Amino acid sequence: MPTNQSHSQPWSPPEQFVLVESSVPGVMVYAPQPETTKSDRAKSFACPNCGANITYDVSAGGVACEYCGHIAPVKSVHVGRNAEDFEFTLETLSQSNRGWGTQRQILHCDSCGSDLSISESTLTTTCLFCASNKVNVITSLEETLRPRFLIPFTVTRDQTQKIASQWLGKGWYHPDELARNAILRKFVGIYLPFWTFDTQVDARWRAQVGYEKTERHYNAREKRWVTRTRIDWRWENGKTHLNIDDFLVSGSHQRHISQLILKRLYPYDMNGLKTYQPDYLAGWQAQAYEVTLTDAWASAKKAIREKAKTACHRDIPTHHVRNFSMSADFRDESWRYILLPVYLAAYKYDNQVYQVMLNGQTGAIAGQKPIAWWKIWLAIAAMLAPGTLLGLIGLPLLLVGGVGIIAIVLGIILFVLGIIFSFILYNKARESEAK
Amino acid sequence: MADLTPQADIIDENQSLWETKRQPAGCTLCHRVFLVQEAIIGSSCPLCQKGQLETQPARMRPTAPEQMLPFKLGRKRLSRIYEDFVSGVWIKPEDFRAEKLLSRTTAVFWPLWLVDSDVSGHWEMEAGFDYQAETYKEAYSGGQWQSRKQVETRVRWEPRLGQINTHVENVTVPALEEHENRLAMTGRYQLDRGQPFDPDQLGKALLEVPDLPPEEAWPLATPQIEREAAQICKQAADAQHIRNFHLKADYQNLNWTEFFLPMYTSFYTDDEGQAQIVVINGESGEIRGPRMASRKRGLRIAGIMAVIAAVFLALALFGALLTLVIPPIGLIAILFGFMGLGLGIAAIIPAVWPGQWNRKQGDGPRMMPRR
Repeated sequence: MPTNQSHSQPWSPPEQFVLVESSVPGVMVYAPQPETTKSDRAKSFACPNCGANITYDVSAGGVACEYCGHIAPVKSVHVGRNAEDFEFTLETLSQSNRGWGTQRQILHCDSCGSDLSISESTLTTTCLFCASNKVNVITSLEETLRPRFLIPFTVTRDQTQKIASQWLGKGWYHPDELARNAILRKFVGIYLPFWTFDTQVDARWRAQVGYEKTERHYNAREKRWVTRTRIDWRWENGKTHLNIDDFLVSGSHQRHISQLILKRLYPYDMNGLKTYQPDYLAGWQAQAYEVTLTDAWASAKKAIREKAKTACHRDIPTHHVRNFSMSADFRDESWRYILLPVYLAAYKYDNQVYQVMLNGQTGAIAGQKPIAWWKIWLAIAAMLAPGTLLGLIGLPLLLVGGVGIIAIVLGIILFVLGIIFSFILYNKARESEAK
Repeated sequence: MADLTPQADIIDENQSLWETKRQPAGCTLCHRVFLVQEAIIGSSCPLCQKGQLETQPARMRPTAPEQMLPFKLGRKRLSRIYEDFVSGVWIKPEDFRAEKLLSRTTAVFWPLWLVDSDVSGHWEMEAGFDYQAETYKEAYSGGQWQSRKQVETRVRWEPRLGQINTHVENVTVPALEEHENRLAMTGRYQLDRGQPFDPDQLGKALLEVPDLPPEEAWPLATPQIEREAAQICKQAADAQHIRNFHLKADYQNLNWTEFFLPMYTSFYTDDEGQAQIVVINGESGEIRGPRMASRKRGLRIAGIMAVIAAVFLALALFGALLTLVIPPIGLIAILFGFMGLGLGIAAIIPAVWPGQWNRKQGDGPRMMPRR
């Protein structure tokens, strides 16, 4: 005989589930609580002991008060390369394109009660009235477009000066007194926005591949055997696979941060990624993305497909290739929005301002350096001189006999080599000054 | 612990139910029970054609049926269906003819339970939400890149749980033990097109009595009610897909009524004199049942062909002898020889084909003997 089983005992949803809207009367629906937490709200940092302003201390690895010595460790999880990534949903892409919504935003200081106006991409600020440090990341309309992971600073401010001084003293073509006379301003630690992309690329190529073939034939007119090389062209095809992991694209505009210098700071070790905690940003500057996800992905895609093209070419056993065509199918595309530590500084030399950046994780340094152009020109002249001289010596020797032609040929070779090395040196020098 | 299902009553053999002017009668052999018009008493059982319908008391619930699907096929349509059904068989039994099937057609309504219930309890599931994501295909040719964006629909699975306090109506539950086989014979019905039960629309049709009373059908009803509840919860959560749905619920205020589905039955006798039941879905016109070939007729045709082949071979032999006297006759003898040989070999086909065909018929759905 069928009977009903009583399940009428009081029921309550598990923790971390919240009531959501139901489309059917009589049915209550609970869903996991959204991940928005207290830490995503604007947060002020004051010492719980003395009330003084506190900042993230790199050497202590926590939020520290420089007055009373109070240290609180940061409650963050080390996630490394396993940090969660996100798909390219249409929703997210359109949200990313809308940016941060407002040009300026009002940040309420809960220490002194004043309202601060800050720019849309500013994640941290210091209250003008009570000097308390603030961290604010709630301006993004979508949860996923807030920074979720970061690599904290591991290089301390003290170390930056030493690294910078050593770097300034390096390189023979810079002014000798650069390390001594450069007025290096204080390095400012800033968390810069970056997009990282993962994807699998299946590439297929088709091309005419040329194979060199050496053959001997008898030249009747010259009455001798001649060896010649000809190229056999064959249609070939192949496929290759690329696993792109953590392809890094800066989220800052070129007009604010020099991308040329920034790229010289790579690589960052993504194994150092930690879950975002506002404590890491306390007392440090941080910037939100200015380059949208769509634009960053477009530039990453361009670079990745070129990588795929290179990989396809690497598959081809010879360097004779024509009518090359290929397809690259992207799949499992995902992205992450992260903050990476960079020290920025500028120094003045000879009334000119030069930018320097330092990787806050590895200590790698890059930046503009003035060039002692007379050294460059002297070096170029030295590199071109042997060839020119040998050529000049060879000319009168031509009158003497066959010796002259050897000197001239050697002179030309040396001259060409000199031009190549000069070109490289010149470019390197230009790069050193480039913004 | 409450009793969920009302008990069945015993309906007396002379008692007419639901103003249908029909009384209970059962098959003497397969024991299926029907409500039939008096004139039909004593005729063969439409579902086994082995026993006879005789009056008997029926154990059933006296509540009037709630819904029915009326018959939708006219005589002409039935005739066409039978013709198509029969025409597919090459060497068929004498009795396997469309006109005979049509003349033996009986209309039968067979039952389903419709269950209404209050459902209250709690549930959990994985809710699937569709979302769209971009992916790219890049092509390089002639020194230029072309990028093609593709939008894929993917499913994001999220846990959902909650409470349900609702009423489900007209959940269909099997009312016959042979429900699955019956459905295999008739094919699906469009149950959402059910109409209120109307005795005037029954015509001469028999009403089959449920042999799964509610108390026995209850274990089959709960999964159906759960499925219904799952759909309600899916709608409540605004999900497009669900999986791993679990419900712990109380079922109250159960109401069991019947839903009658239309089917036609007919039969023909095969070589062995066995009645082969053919069933037509009274709504869609789908026809199912074994289509037996006649081995006897096959052998008869094979025999005739063999005799003709023997005559040809004899003529060929005779012709061969005549070639000694009239050589050109040799050609005719060869021709006869080939014809005889060919016909002899071809005679194997009608002898063997019916057996092969009938073997295949064994795999299809057929009305199963009961008890």
